[in-house]
Amino acid sequence: MKWPSSKLGYTAAGMTVVAAMLVPFLLMGLFAKGFTKLGLHVDEMYSGGPTARTIQADGYTITIHKAVYPHLLQTEKPFVQLDWKPVNALPQHVSDAVDVDGDGQPDVRVSFDVPKDPKMPLRVDVDALKPRYQAMRKVGRQKFSELIVRVDDTILVRVPLIER
Amino acid sequence: MADAVCAGFAGKTSPRTWSRALLLTLPIALWSLFMAMRGLLQPDRSLQVASGVTAAFMIVLFFMMMKTSSTYRWRRWFFVALGVLFPIEFIHNVMVLRGSMGIPIEEMIAGRTPFCFLPIPLLILPAALTRTLVFPGSILPRGGMSGGGMAAMAGLWLAVTLVVGKGWCSYACFFGGIEEGMAALPKKAKWKKLDPRYRLLPWAVLLAMVLLSLALFEPAYCMWLCPFKAVSEYVAARNTVGLVQNGIFVVLFAALVIVLPLLTKKRTQCTFLCPFGAFQSIFNKTSVFDIKIDRTVCSPCVLCQKSCPTMSLSDESIKKGETLMSCMKCGACVDACPKGAAVWHIRGTQVAVKPERARLMFLYAAWAMAAMFGGSIITQGLATILQRVI
Repeated sequence: MKWPSSKLGYTAAGMTVVAAMLVPFLLMGLFAKGFTKLGLHVDEMYSGGPTARTIQADGYTITIHKAVYPHLLQTEKPFVQLDWKPVNALPQHVSDAVDVDGDGQPDVRVSFDVPKDPKMPLRVDVDALKPRYQAMRKVGRQKFSELIVRVDDTILVRVPLIER
Repeated sequence: MADAVCAGFAGKTSPRTWSRALLLTLPIALWSLFMAMRGLLQPDRSLQVASGVTAAFMIVLFFMMMKTSSTYRWRRWFFVALGVLFPIEFIHNVMVLRGSMGIPIEEMIAGRTPFCFLPIPLLILPAALTRTLVFPGSILPRGGMSGGGMAAMAGLWLAVTLVVGKGWCSYACFFGGIEEGMAALPKKAKWKKLDPRYRLLPWAVLLAMVLLSLALFEPAYCMWLCPFKAVSEYVAARNTVGLVQNGIFVVLFAALVIVLPLLTKKRTQCTFLCPFGAFQSIFNKTSVFDIKIDRTVCSPCVLCQKSCPTMSLSDESIKKGETLMSCMKCGACVDACPKGAAVWHIRGTQVAVKPERARLMFLYAAWAMAAMFGGSIITQGLATILQRVI
């Protein structure tokens, strides 16, 4: 009765030692690859949501993301992210009327200065041209749902939405 | 395998001869040198030296485990080195890359928050229900701040867990070493009476943090309770809430990682708080290795219970001849038992029959992981110091 279970135990232990040897060469990479294939994505509150469309401006582009809505008890407001890129093609002062929902009418006017020093803090003013969008005055980066930040070669502005 | 019986006590083995200990160390020596090759072949002199020193360190410790048949005290040297050198290397890295231990919001948006293993259990429910990872990092294996994306850490964690189960907390966790070092400092514990119900706290924290993470869609433990934020990184305080969060990290670190281990000689953060440790306990059920108490030779002196750094032995469990689910296979109880009743064991085999074989097989697997993962962290930490000093 004891013999087969004992043999199984030692076999499993031996396989565990072999598995340990395979971790850096096979298992770790295999599991990591499997993880990437699960189809998971980082929460849009961080990533900003998928791209909806891109507008070509004067030497630079404005990428408009799909609106992001908070989950369950998330304390942030719904928002839409707009990306200005590349930073070195932007004028010293940007003031763009942006058609966010693609209906041919501008929805918000976004204004900010582009300092030469990338470490300088940014401030954004947003005028809401439609009631769906929330105006912002001299906003920095206090919340994920209302901010302006520079990420590498892009300036991101998140405009909060009034209602869902 | 050596199963020499010492003084009539079933599970206690006598010290080995030098030659036999060397022979048993040989596989790990080769493995450690192989793991060190990447650093040794680098042009950076400090990395070469650090790699060589780390390999030698891992080999000597394993040799001493083989020579003395004692596990815990030698493993502790590795674990403390890991716990001390990880923050040095990590803080140095973040200071060089971003000039602050605080993660600015743009780094989170860019998905460059380094991902450690602690939030893994918190991510499972949101991921299962909405396919969303509630962590501001990168999924890609080479994403994140220093190439440590979530996939890389998840892959590493799964692989190591497959091999050592809850042994992760003794051979791979790069946080526990600080408190283990603190717990080793005093000769005797000042606080000896600890309510055994406290050991349920990590489960309560795990449940609360899993539910909170699902409700708030954020890694709640990282945001509010992780003591190791104090020695790694934290969300840069943008408002009063951020200041409160950072205050909590410092207080928890001081209390659970510094003061209480000094007073109790226990790993108090692991025992009373860590939700990852509680989660990892589940994998004790899947691991082929465990620790048993041989009831035929045990005269309940409870030295094993006293020596356990995570209170993973209770009166009831000793009566049943086993450890609790939270046992992290550090070997403290086996080393402490004067009668050799606490023994390493392979599931399916008879208790106290060839326990040294079980110990050897476990240590080969666990030390291979330690040399691979912990060894690389120790190397980086040493190299960082050498770069500064030399």
